[in-house]
Amino acid sequence: MTELSDELLVAYVDGQLARDQTRAVDKVLDQDDVVARRAEALKQAHSRFECAFEAILAGEVSELMTNAPSLPPPVRRRRGNGLAKIGVITAGLGLGLFALVAGYGWPLALSERATLPQAGEMSSAIGTWQDEAVRAQSLLSRDSVEVAAESQGNFDLVALQMAQVIGPAVKIPDLEAQGFKFMRGQLLRFEGEPLAQLLYLGGGTAPLALYARRGEDEARDGFAKSGAIGSVAWSDDGIAYLLAGEEDMVTLLRLAEKIRHEPPAAEPASTRKLSAN
Amino acid sequence: MQAETQHESVRHGLIAMLPRLKGFADVLVGDKRQGRALLRRALKRMLADQHRYQRGTPLDRFAFAEIYRLWLGQLRDHADPLRQAKPSGADFERLLRRGGAPDFDAETASFLGALPPQQRSTLLLVYGEGFAHEDAGLVLDTGPDTIQARLIRACASLADRLGVSSPAPASATVEALYPREATEGP
Repeated sequence: MTELSDELLVAYVDGQLARDQTRAVDKVLDQDDVVARRAEALKQAHSRFECAFEAILAGEVSELMTNAPSLPPPVRRRRGNGLAKIGVITAGLGLGLFALVAGYGWPLALSERATLPQAGEMSSAIGTWQDEAVRAQSLLSRDSVEVAAESQGNFDLVALQMAQVIGPAVKIPDLEAQGFKFMRGQLLRFEGEPLAQLLYLGGGTAPLALYARRGEDEARDGFAKSGAIGSVAWSDDGIAYLLAGEEDMVTLLRLAEKIRHEPPAAEPASTRKLSAN
Repeated sequence: MQAETQHESVRHGLIAMLPRLKGFADVLVGDKRQGRALLRRALKRMLADQHRYQRGTPLDRFAFAEIYRLWLGQLRDHADPLRQAKPSGADFERLLRRGGAPDFDAETASFLGALPPQQRSTLLLVYGEGFAHEDAGLVLDTGPDTIQARLIRACASLADRLGVSSPAPASATVEALYPREATEGP
């Protein structure tokens, strides 16, 4: 029988070992049933911990979501015509945000401008497919199609182009570690101003999109949901961002948090890679 | 103006992270009601002293560390920390049941509930939040080696309890609250 310590096996189960070490442990596990059973038990323990913490987080989210109906009546807020056009801002706006604050009365209370949209306002955002197509068309510009598709898939080229057009502070995140592969980036337009769109593919069927535009977007901040599409909006260093996809609220908020701490696209690639790790 | 912008950014960042922060406070304290009280105090302090947040520091690491520091400070300030009320296992189980998961794992809940808060928080940060050992160490004011040791003890302990291997210790080793330096010999 081969003696492998729990220290080594836990590091193995946690994915902390170097590749060759992992291979060596794999080999031992193939040959030694006792060690294999121990590794399996540790793996099970690891997985139970993960499930337990997921359940706790799900409980926090569901509790906060449940609190939403007890919110004070919504106040109409000024809304721009902007990113709503791509159909990601409507009902359930800030359920998370408002629920969070509603039940607690904490110093996190939002300013008056960030309030729930009224029912009519929400329904007016839902149109026919033709309406949606026209809205999507309005976002296209020459830049959207002039750049070759191959170039749109080149991460470094896209980072360079976006930094030039949107500004050097723009974040072009690498989300591979989070399970989202960068597919392409393109420039759209809104009210004559460039609007960057970065598309990623994860395990789901729909892509995840990050939009970035010059200027702070005062009308919109936080989480919103429209049908299957959730979105998180925020502003940073004079650039307004919107992250949209069919992922759940927690995933989107986590991704947004990760992006917020990404270095700007204008930083050298080596620094950005290091920081991303 | 710059400070105002940063304040807004910290505030919004905290709002976006609230479910995670609440989960951390609840797990640390082991009880929903007390966790909520701890988080409320921590949030007030973070916003009042938001100048202490340095741009570039991951906000989640900063916020988790603030909650932990406040909890530890309260423990140290307690007139008789040894007599402090200990949350029951049932309190902790309630934290897991709220998620409405059909396959509630009573064994893991009871195991986690019996762990010392520091060890529970370590598990949450690494297995629940995906923190690197170094970052978890920065939050909990300890080194990555201690983080690693806590994970090993907890995993080995639960694995033992699951009955697949050797006889089980009652629970993972209780750790002292003293700083690492004080516990390590020359």
